[in-house]
Amino acid sequence: MLDPISVFRVFASELVLLFTALLVLLGDLIFRPRGRHYCTGFAVGGLILASLFAIVFRVPDDTSFVPAGLTIDAFALVAKLLGFSFIAMLALLADSDDCCRSPSTALYCALLLIAALVISILGAASDLILILLALDFLGVIAYIMTSYDRVNPRASEAALKYLLYGSTLSALMLFGFSWLYGVSTTTDLVGLGAFLDRGTTSSALSLRAAELDYVVLPALIMAGAGLAMKLAAAPFHQWAPDTYQGAPACSAAFIAVVPKLGGLIALVRFTLVAIPAASSEHGGDWQALLVALAVVTMIVGSLAALLQQDIKRLLAYSGVAQVGYMVIGVVTQSSTGLAALLFYLLVYALATTGIFAAIIAVTGKLTPVSTEISTFSGLHKRAPWLAFAVLVGLLGLIGLPLTGGFIGKFWLFVAALEKGFPWLTVVAVLSSIVSIAYYWKIIRAMYFLPVYTDAALHMPTWLSVAVGICAILVILLGLFPNGVLAFFRLAAIDFRF
Amino acid sequence: MQFPILSAILITPLLGALLILVIPREDARTIRRVGVAFAVISLVLATVLWVCVEQLGPDTLRLIERYPWIASFDIWYHVGVDGFSTPLVWLTAFLMTLALFYSAYVIEDRVKEYFFLFLLLETGLIGVFLALDLVLFYVFWEIGLVPMFLIIGIWGGKRRDYAAIKFFLYTLAGSVFALLAIIAIYFNTGTFDIVELARLRPFADNWLWANLAFWGLWLAFAIKIPVFPLHTWLPDAHTEAPTAGSVMLAGVLLKLGAYGMLRIGLPMFPQVFRYYVLDIPILPILALFSIVYGALVCLAQWDFKRLIAYSSVAHMGYFTLGLCAAAVSDSGTQMAAAAALNGAAWQLFSHGIITGGMFFLVGMLYERTHTRDLRAFGGFSGQMPVYYGLTLVFALASLGLPGLAGFWSELFVFRGTAQLLPLAAYIGVLGMVFTAAYILWKVIQHVFLGTFDAIRWGTLTDLKWWEQVAVAPLLVLTVVLGLYPGPLLATFDSAVTALLHVLP
Repeated sequence: MLDPISVFRVFASELVLLFTALLVLLGDLIFRPRGRHYCTGFAVGGLILASLFAIVFRVPDDTSFVPAGLTIDAFALVAKLLGFSFIAMLALLADSDDCCRSPSTALYCALLLIAALVISILGAASDLILILLALDFLGVIAYIMTSYDRVNPRASEAALKYLLYGSTLSALMLFGFSWLYGVSTTTDLVGLGAFLDRGTTSSALSLRAAELDYVVLPALIMAGAGLAMKLAAAPFHQWAPDTYQGAPACSAAFIAVVPKLGGLIALVRFTLVAIPAASSEHGGDWQALLVALAVVTMIVGSLAALLQQDIKRLLAYSGVAQVGYMVIGVVTQSSTGLAALLFYLLVYALATTGIFAAIIAVTGKLTPVSTEISTFSGLHKRAPWLAFAVLVGLLGLIGLPLTGGFIGKFWLFVAALEKGFPWLTVVAVLSSIVSIAYYWKIIRAMYFLPVYTDAALHMPTWLSVAVGICAILVILLGLFPNGVLAFFRLAAIDFRF
Repeated sequence: MQFPILSAILITPLLGALLILVIPREDARTIRRVGVAFAVISLVLATVLWVCVEQLGPDTLRLIERYPWIASFDIWYHVGVDGFSTPLVWLTAFLMTLALFYSAYVIEDRVKEYFFLFLLLETGLIGVFLALDLVLFYVFWEIGLVPMFLIIGIWGGKRRDYAAIKFFLYTLAGSVFALLAIIAIYFNTGTFDIVELARLRPFADNWLWANLAFWGLWLAFAIKIPVFPLHTWLPDAHTEAPTAGSVMLAGVLLKLGAYGMLRIGLPMFPQVFRYYVLDIPILPILALFSIVYGALVCLAQWDFKRLIAYSSVAHMGYFTLGLCAAAVSDSGTQMAAAAALNGAAWQLFSHGIITGGMFFLVGMLYERTHTRDLRAFGGFSGQMPVYYGLTLVFALASLGLPGLAGFWSELFVFRGTAQLLPLAAYIGVLGMVFTAAYILWKVIQHVFLGTFDAIRWGTLTDLKWWEQVAVAPLLVLTVVLGLYPGPLLATFDSAVTALLHVLP
């Protein structure tokens, strides 16, 4: 018998998000003449409420009616909370970004809330179809957000590139998944894992082991390519710089954080449930693919970032390199690695959001539109606190001690060395050193160069709040990481290592 | 429970920095006063600390405080001091007080940030000398990096941004490899505790990993010391930094690397160290290169500040040489090893005060002349007699004149090295000859003697009272330590003896 209360308990946060999204849209009809600030208030409120529900009802009493494709565990909870908090920050940014106002900020906030809903489902998804649908849904939201600034032709171009690239790779991933389904006759990750574990006998096509390789390996490569595109991992990252540059700064922040989060969640579940290196026959191959992905991503991202003059393009390429570090966490396939990945992702998202908030403040009112690094020149004199917050974010991305970035990288290195990947850490270290050289361009502009313009810098309240929270959290995570570390370790316990 | 004096020393500059943050930017007067006041409080605490340590005995780690910091990684807030670290902590607080006192009269631009960054730097520097947990050590090591980077980049000379990023890149490039080594050591031994690790000897049975870990750490330390050929960041950073920044760079930052060698490199990897001194003598060769090459570059250098910067390369070479000599000692040569290590440790302290003084003086001259070209100077002895007198003392101390502080380090280092590594000692003495040559010829002759260009330099004024106050304590210390080295040497010696006991 379906008890409505228990259904609500399981899906409380999702329902809250859905209703908040509708409420924001409805509110647009009523509140529009009075301004747009209520959207952010509603969205943030809804996300906080959803997070509270997620925490309070974290253990469902009755999971009998939970659809087969969903696994409600600690990892899903952590993924949810991460997604909700990032998107709440983005809602703060959306309020101040002029590019997000047409047609309406309400629609933008509704999209953000839907994206949070998708992340929430993706966190629990353990079915190939559900993962694919959720990832693509997230992709569609990102395409819309990219083209949100309709008067800007670059935004349309960026969105088209993103759309074409994204849908092609999604199709490829679907094709790969269909092959996996073809040999295993299941889309459930656990079932797929059991099949790949046992290998040959239960195959619907009654293939022999050697023949099975010809199906599984290409399928894995195709699936990996699709996931890599979501992460903007090299060599499937080419869409990123153009899309970041053309998109409104707030949407660029979204693209820099949320699809990466979604892709990593999917990658973690897929890797650890369906094809773990320890037990699965093809686990070693998949791990090797991930190692190659991490190495190529770190190298390509770092080197390409060195050449950039535009701050958004620079962040796009540096985001590529950053994702390389996070993939290391997946490669290790250990509880340490998974927790480190989540921690690093958190710091990356905070630092990146903070920097994009500064981009909104610095370049938002510029005519003609420019996001060159030179627009940050002398920011130290125009807005010392904002410059300091950006500095903290950049140092966090470099991974300097006293920022959460250090703890995250440290932990990732620990995980990699523990599982015997010393060369992966050496590549990561070299890439971190190179990262100083490109982040330095921004620091140099802010602190050492003469001011770009004497015009006063207008900092809207919500934006200041977002920048402040990001910078303070990046430092706090570096000083007192204990609580968060323990929490992320919980997320890892449900996986068998 | 006793008063946690180490934490107090550590936190005092940080509190000062935070206090400065809340003072309005316009009130530069208060900012200066608060900055100097907190530096003085640190110095007072450091002096009290030194007295305490002398009472307790500087032969082993004292005043230990140990609390869990990041429990999930087994990282501790673990601090303590012995005969090596106490004088260095005091030196840091001492030089910082003088540097900020001097800066209070000189710096007009962005005073708030300036004092904030310097106090933050002090916390980082002192933390390195106190830390007894490898990760804590690393964290403090890097804390000092950003303030110094910004100090060079904002208040530096013409090529400041180049010098700043070079400094940053070099330091970080070295230290991240040290971080990997630290993690590897942890996996081998299961602890980050520096004291425990010196006993455990990580990778005692795995030569390859012992090598990797050793060189990872060595890279970080050697860049900071600096050892030839990793020294190229130093001339740029020292030359472009503002005067107080140069003083702290030469006086304390270089000692971080040296202290790391003393505290971590040598005790944890004595066999590896010994191997690369005796079997493949790469370490002493690099030390000799630093000494001789550094001195030769000074001879060819016409930029006054750059000359002093390169002289640091040469002087820190004596430290490395002394350390190499100590690493090869056995039970029969304990005396020589103790002498070499004492000389090396003495060099850290004496170089801090002598070169700190030299950088002050160079900076004061530059403030007046706006050039550092030695060829433009000449005959200043009549125009600036006080300046001449002060510079003469520091210059002579720098070349190791008996009766001044610099003499004892050279005496002891060569006393030990001559017995343990005779060939290296003979070559190293060459450096002393070159040092005498460039000090007398370049510094004394070109600046103070020769013809005086009255048209160009007729308006030069001698040192103001506050400039004299900034340098005078260093001068007093140089002379006192030169004439009466006993107490400081006894402090070092007890720590040296303890260190030699744990070496094989």
